[in-house]
Amino acid sequence: MPRRPPPGPLWRKALASLASLPPVRSIVEHLMDNPPEPRYTQAEAYAPMEAAAAEAVAALPDFPGFKERIWSELPATSGGIDVPGFTIVEITYVFSLPDSGTPLVRETYVDVLREHWTSLGYTVTRDAVKEKAGRTDRSLVAIRPDGIALWYWAAGHTVLRVQSGPVTVSEPEAIEYVPPSGGVMPGGRYDKVARYFPGGIPADRDAVDPFDSPDSYEDDL
Amino acid sequence: MSDLTWERLRDLDCGAIRALGDTWKSYVEQQLAHTDRLRAEVIDGHLSAEHFESDTATRVREQIGMTADRYEDDLSDYASTRIATTLFEVADAFEKEQNELKELVPLIDQHQFDIEGPHHEYDVNLSGDLHRAILTLNPPQWLCDMCGVQKPDGFWDVDTIKVLFNGVDLYGTAIGLAGQYQDWLRAVMSRAHDADDEAAAALAEMRENPTELPPQLGATYDDLVDDYKQGVSEEVADEAKSIAEGTSGMSPEQVNQWWEGLSETERQALIEEHPEWVGPVDGIPTESRDTANRTLLDNQIDGLGVQIAAKEQALQGMDPDSDEYERAKEELDDLKQDEKDLAKLQGRITDDDGTPALAEGPEPKQPYYLLGFGTQDSGRAIVSVGDPDTADNVNTFVPGTTADLGSATGILNRVETMQSDAQLAAPGASNATVMWLGYDAPDTIVPEAMQERWADGASDDLERFTRGLDATGQPDTNHTLTGHSYGTTVIGHAATQDGVNADNLVFVASPGVGTDTASALGVDEDNVWSTTNSLDPIQLSPDVLHGANPADDDFGGNTYHSDTGAWNANNHSTYWDDTNMAGRETLADIATGQR
Repeated sequence: MPRRPPPGPLWRKALASLASLPPVRSIVEHLMDNPPEPRYTQAEAYAPMEAAAAEAVAALPDFPGFKERIWSELPATSGGIDVPGFTIVEITYVFSLPDSGTPLVRETYVDVLREHWTSLGYTVTRDAVKEKAGRTDRSLVAIRPDGIALWYWAAGHTVLRVQSGPVTVSEPEAIEYVPPSGGVMPGGRYDKVARYFPGGIPADRDAVDPFDSPDSYEDDL
Repeated sequence: MSDLTWERLRDLDCGAIRALGDTWKSYVEQQLAHTDRLRAEVIDGHLSAEHFESDTATRVREQIGMTADRYEDDLSDYASTRIATTLFEVADAFEKEQNELKELVPLIDQHQFDIEGPHHEYDVNLSGDLHRAILTLNPPQWLCDMCGVQKPDGFWDVDTIKVLFNGVDLYGTAIGLAGQYQDWLRAVMSRAHDADDEAAAALAEMRENPTELPPQLGATYDDLVDDYKQGVSEEVADEAKSIAEGTSGMSPEQVNQWWEGLSETERQALIEEHPEWVGPVDGIPTESRDTANRTLLDNQIDGLGVQIAAKEQALQGMDPDSDEYERAKEELDDLKQDEKDLAKLQGRITDDDGTPALAEGPEPKQPYYLLGFGTQDSGRAIVSVGDPDTADNVNTFVPGTTADLGSATGILNRVETMQSDAQLAAPGASNATVMWLGYDAPDTIVPEAMQERWADGASDDLERFTRGLDATGQPDTNHTLTGHSYGTTVIGHAATQDGVNADNLVFVASPGVGTDTASALGVDEDNVWSTTNSLDPIQLSPDVLHGANPADDDFGGNTYHSDTGAWNANNHSTYWDDTNMAGRETLADIATGQR
């Protein structure tokens, strides 16, 4: 038997031909040169993103506390290529491995956040369950009207991620420290924002969220 | 150039080649027993200072010792590393391609295709019988099935008329399938020829560079022995230089064996005195390469500072309106840009105290390893987050158009994201994610990304890099090669032309990978993955540029879903954005062996 079905549909070739026409190319190139205006700068984005994380945490019953917070960035793109001067901020809150495996964190919290985010008028864009050997992964994504995305992902670890969408890159000194939510100690070993504060992170401030950090981080890995 | 034909490859007894390698290995072990006896029973026994004490006796003991040393070195370098390993490697490579032929050739026969043309560029064409069958409205059943028509069973019945009206489609389908088999066959033979040529080069290099023996005892012994000892001490350096310059003929696996055969002192001396022979070399362990490359990076930044100062000095003496000034100014700007880009890379992977930095990510935090860099063309940067030599899962990311040294830290953000996703998806495993910007990427979509030459230029280097990871890593590591955009074309060319050591191939937003079928990639089709979101204009790339879109059903392999970003934006690079968590989750699963 043949290994493959016949070649693909003709419409794709027709569109490809269209795309190669000079006017289409010029539109594409115009888009590449004119990225859309972002809502926030990088420095402005952290506060509403952290507030979004704190708000989500406040809705979670019997919250055990996050283990760590990570600030990171992704290249922002326009016209299909990475654009210098733009970035996407991603803040990740990670539950400890034992907490990541509990039904409360893997199942109940997904249901709670789905209802909570929907009630706030956020658009749920992903609500998926994936069966794997020995565990069930869940993924819930909601987008706020201001473009900030919230992603609750129960995989090996369970995490709450907040993404800014494209923002203009700020000078490092313009970025202000925002204390973490969910029991992560500000400036502690698990507050992974050191890249932005080479002079040191303020460690004497309370977390935004009142939940206590775990008594011990033993057996977390 | 290899003159291996597909028939000879099909009929080759790979077991005999491997058995020959085993013979050489056992020969080495037997001979080492002889040198052990020579030292124990002659130098330290019958001819020991206890029995014979004189200048002559000392010379004889020394000469025998040097001869034994030389013999052992040659056994290790030549009989073991070069001959036996070459035989094992070429046997493995031939057998892998032979197995592909065993699957492919019967398919070609079954479909009444013929293999024609010279052995370096076989064609797979419709046979005369197949032509006749189509032209006489009696196409074979498989072709009718593919085109969705009933096979005619009577003279000028309805089905015959349908076939008549579908003649063009029947021909197109048959030619399309023959084209896929042709791609597959050419890829198999290209990889087999590559293995054959590499084995020949390794053996030829050995023959062309015989080693010296210790001087014979006699009147000139004292005059010659110092030169001999000096030569021996320089051999490691000469070999390291030859390996780094690519003239040794050694594969990354052989380089790794050679490196492991050096003493700790020799390895340390090479890292410190000749980091340029260590840092870029595939097959040398990651830790050593990282140390050497960091030294090279420091040196290059310092060197650029000196060049910039000299150029600025020279500019002061020139007429600002002259062409000479204009040229010098451009050179100065280039130097400054290189210095800035390298400093940015250095700042990212190095802590303030000069030690390797840890990437921001989930516990356990992973250090950066610098596996290569350069300022030639648009620049190079190969950086790993996590140690690929100890990782259970290694995902190597090949970026595409516009990737350059200046954008390397941005691409590194994407790599860190993949690493972070992998760690979260598989916290019980150790993971590493590598940014492989080891090639000169196209600078523009039109016309550069439409050309194959950038991928062809990268093919051999990517092949060696993956083989190097295989040589220095753990035996059961799950290796994934992930390309984005033109990076997928690079992976496809390397996989079909030279072969890559990877368990999984992932093509994200591919314009084509240089072949029309996943079968040609040399990786189990079940482990070939493609994704293109529905608003990505890359799917409009004509097949004539880089081959079929690997996300098409015709291509084979698997596809996975990626969500789009904004409907009115170009969605070609939104695969890691907040709009495509589905794609990120799947990629993390593939990279950690959970798919």
